[in-house]
Amino acid sequence: MLLGIDVGGTFTDGVIFAQGEVIARVKQPTDERNIKQSLWSALDELLLKVDKDDIERVVLSTTLITNLLATGQGEPTALIMIPGYGMPYGEYNICEDTFFVRGFMDFRGREIENIDQDEVRDVLREITKRQIHRAAVVGKFSNRNHIQETMIKNIAKSDFPELDIYISSEVACRLNFPRRAVTTFYTAMILKEWNRFADEIETVFKQRHWNGRVEILKADGGTMTLDASRLQPCETAFSGPAAGNMGALALAGEAVNSVVLDIGGTTADISLLIEGKPLYASKGAKIDGRFTHINSLAVKSVPLGGDSVLSPDGDPLIRAYRLGPAACFGGDRPTVIDAFNVAFDLGIGNAAASYEKISRLGEQSGKPVQEVSRNVTDQVVLKLRAEITAMFREWEQEPAYKVWEVVNRKKFTLQRIIGIGAAAEAIIPLLAKDMGIDYLYHKYSPVANGLGAALVRPTIAVEVHIDTQSQKYSVNPQGHFGVIEKNSRFGLEKAKALALECLKNAAADRGLAHMTPQAQYYMEEQFNIVRGWDTAGKIFDIGIVIAPGFVEQFQGVIK
Amino acid sequence: MKPTGILFFPAFDWAISPTHPEREERLLYTRDQLFEEGIMDLPGIKEYQSRMATEKDISRTHFCVPDVESRITKAHLVSAGSALVLADAFMRKEVKNAFAIIRPPGHHAMTVSHGNRGFCDINNEAIMVEYLRQHYGLKKIAIVDTDVHHGDGTQEIFYHDPDILFISFHQDGRTLYPGSGFMEELGGPLAYGTTINIPLDPGTGDYGIHYILDNLVLPVLEEFKPELVINSAGQDNHFSDPLANMNFTAQGYAILNQKLAPDIAVLEGGYSVETALPYVNMGIIMAMAGIDFSNLQEPGYKKENQSVAARETGSLDRIVKTQLRNFRSREEKVADNRKTGQTFFSYNRNIFYDTDYIHEEQKLNLRLCQNCGGYRSLSSAARQSDGAYYKIYAVNIPIYACEKCQAEGMELYRQMAESGKYDYIYLQDHPRDKFHAFNVKLLQEKVY
Repeated sequence: MLLGIDVGGTFTDGVIFAQGEVIARVKQPTDERNIKQSLWSALDELLLKVDKDDIERVVLSTTLITNLLATGQGEPTALIMIPGYGMPYGEYNICEDTFFVRGFMDFRGREIENIDQDEVRDVLREITKRQIHRAAVVGKFSNRNHIQETMIKNIAKSDFPELDIYISSEVACRLNFPRRAVTTFYTAMILKEWNRFADEIETVFKQRHWNGRVEILKADGGTMTLDASRLQPCETAFSGPAAGNMGALALAGEAVNSVVLDIGGTTADISLLIEGKPLYASKGAKIDGRFTHINSLAVKSVPLGGDSVLSPDGDPLIRAYRLGPAACFGGDRPTVIDAFNVAFDLGIGNAAASYEKISRLGEQSGKPVQEVSRNVTDQVVLKLRAEITAMFREWEQEPAYKVWEVVNRKKFTLQRIIGIGAAAEAIIPLLAKDMGIDYLYHKYSPVANGLGAALVRPTIAVEVHIDTQSQKYSVNPQGHFGVIEKNSRFGLEKAKALALECLKNAAADRGLAHMTPQAQYYMEEQFNIVRGWDTAGKIFDIGIVIAPGFVEQFQGVIK
Repeated sequence: MKPTGILFFPAFDWAISPTHPEREERLLYTRDQLFEEGIMDLPGIKEYQSRMATEKDISRTHFCVPDVESRITKAHLVSAGSALVLADAFMRKEVKNAFAIIRPPGHHAMTVSHGNRGFCDINNEAIMVEYLRQHYGLKKIAIVDTDVHHGDGTQEIFYHDPDILFISFHQDGRTLYPGSGFMEELGGPLAYGTTINIPLDPGTGDYGIHYILDNLVLPVLEEFKPELVINSAGQDNHFSDPLANMNFTAQGYAILNQKLAPDIAVLEGGYSVETALPYVNMGIIMAMAGIDFSNLQEPGYKKENQSVAARETGSLDRIVKTQLRNFRSREEKVADNRKTGQTFFSYNRNIFYDTDYIHEEQKLNLRLCQNCGGYRSLSSAARQSDGAYYKIYAVNIPIYACEKCQAEGMELYRQMAESGKYDYIYLQDHPRDKFHAFNVKLLQEKVY
């Protein structure tokens, strides 16, 4: 048995899945002021329905970190940057307590200018004077050489032991200095809070005498162990859409190009499944308007939900907010769902209430009830269709850096809409008809998020940058820096073997050693380093991943 | 404020040969630098995706021998297409200006293409200029070639075109490939003064280049009043370039682009792949996007290396005076040339393709028209690198050609097709945007 719970902004849903079926489910409103309470009450309700000893694994997805990041709550944190030459420092206004220190590294990891230890001490002293106990240290090109970041960490360790230092090469060892800075800063800011929560999770399960595997859902549609999450808490943000998208994939059962439409009360979240794989945001998740190195799904949130209010004065007819439930569920205002209810005779809830509210809306604008409701449904379809089309276009416009990629660019044909969320059932049949494609609305669609959480497998991605001339390599995400032997025949095969080795180590660190046979290479780049007219070495960038997918026990949902 | 458009196409899977300066690695460190700086994440930057230029796009500028399909690789089509993507973005007003950081480069490619010369097969800027004139009705365009090598391809393509101002500053041709670009090369008889060459002594640095920019290039642009300015942006004037001997810096390049304010910049040469390109490309982007670049500095930069010898200022001043005079006398000179009573202006020449080791023999005829810039025709013969020998004849009817020139040019194409003296006959019919290639042996005509 697999248990998954997703605490979303509006609803918390959870399932227990076994032998192709959801054998227990729960769906309840989330108490936004007490996310943990929502989580534990959903858990307890599920545990009542089965023998807890049959549960092999629990996966949790919450908005805890997303909310912390959105509100900027967390511990006071300073940011120390080593920007060297390049963009003006004014571009890096990431937080109030930002400090810049001397030092300069280039793209090959060569130290062009050293750090000034006295200057570093002055900065650390100032930070402690401000009663700040944690700091993120971020150097430009520290992903190619972490020595300057590490030196600052060591100075702090010996001279300012009350200060916790987080260095960017250990958090996100990839190119993009501002994104590394933002990611490391937020990691430092929320790490304590997340660890308190992780402690609580352990306590809760101990109290319930259950000691199986607990995993946390990540933004990339995979899980990580609770222990691993203690070091990389930012990866747990934005996991809700990932849960829904993977839940939809589980329901779809086949690898067709689909759009996943999660229509809730206030918003419609659009995400894509391309050839059975979730589409990622090309620039990483955004926090407070800034890009990060958090690998997350590309999700477009449209302010249009089932409970969006209809206004009598007509322009716009559909408002981008919710004022309580639809009339058919006892609300006192006409909503999008009421219009669908009337236009297509769906018989949802108290259909007479829908009819009454929509006719009153019609009277106010002097139009018959059918015309008003059709007008609303047409607008909903038009809007969603436009947003979906725009999302494809954006995906098709992703830059490519190789001739091969431009010449063989794939054209995307959408084959199916998968509806999840409360209001999807009413809306997607009309949208699919308008777009001339299939749709899927499954009996498990209302708990797709919980289902996605329950079924997905752990993911892990490793990127290795190897420079055979300087005989060095670096590994994302661990920030491991290693040395290779001098060997003029170090070729692509050796580079790939090294990357696989790094992945095995990373997987073992995260308790995922058993999964390494499922790793796939997703990036294999090699370049000659030329001096004069001779090859002086090679640069390799190798990416290897255990991609999002489902646990082995999952063999599909029984139709 | 509209963003600056960037199209970064490093062609990571294309090289002339593995250790050639024009190799996969060339823009690798530029990628590292741009990505590490997070340039593409900035709200003031909009990144575009490449597309392949069509055969018609290429045929608008070049006579590819025997044809576009067999002469031009996919890499070149993508590189040329990338410039066109930005041309569209600029003309649709999506961006305030745009920079195509692309390879392979193009500014040594001439009208007839038998192969690769100076690392170039087709001319990205020239293809973009003809595209802009055809699709957006632009008339007057200026190309400023800031590569250290004379942009002889671009010069040759527009040498007889009075509407395209071509300005090139470069290391003196007596000391560097391609050995041309002297002050006397001022344009054909009906386009005199719209080609301006500025040969500079080896070792010229920030001071010298900005001196000719401020005193010659910018005033000439001001007087010419182009509707669009293109920077043919080579980066090999940099002090660390291994193929040239100049002393320009990343700051120097940034300030140049700030002052020149090109609408579209297209990367050309630059082979100091680690010490110059990452920083110069950053500098150009920052200048075009209006980002403060005072914190930009490349490793190895030394202020004392930028001191200026008195001798240098004297020779710069002579260039400025001579070329301003030549430029300002252009209308008078063209009027004089029309009075000679000749119907055609013609010359023979040999063109050497250094990369592919091809010797092309060419004869040019320009119609000395009283009403327009005249049509031109070329006969060309070369043994290409695969051993095939081609003798071709090509007619170019420019977009501004008068009706008489159009009729004469088309008649000439028909006559030559029937003459049997050539393997292929080509016609660029710009007024109708039709491009013909006639295979004499097979009696087959292809029209783009």
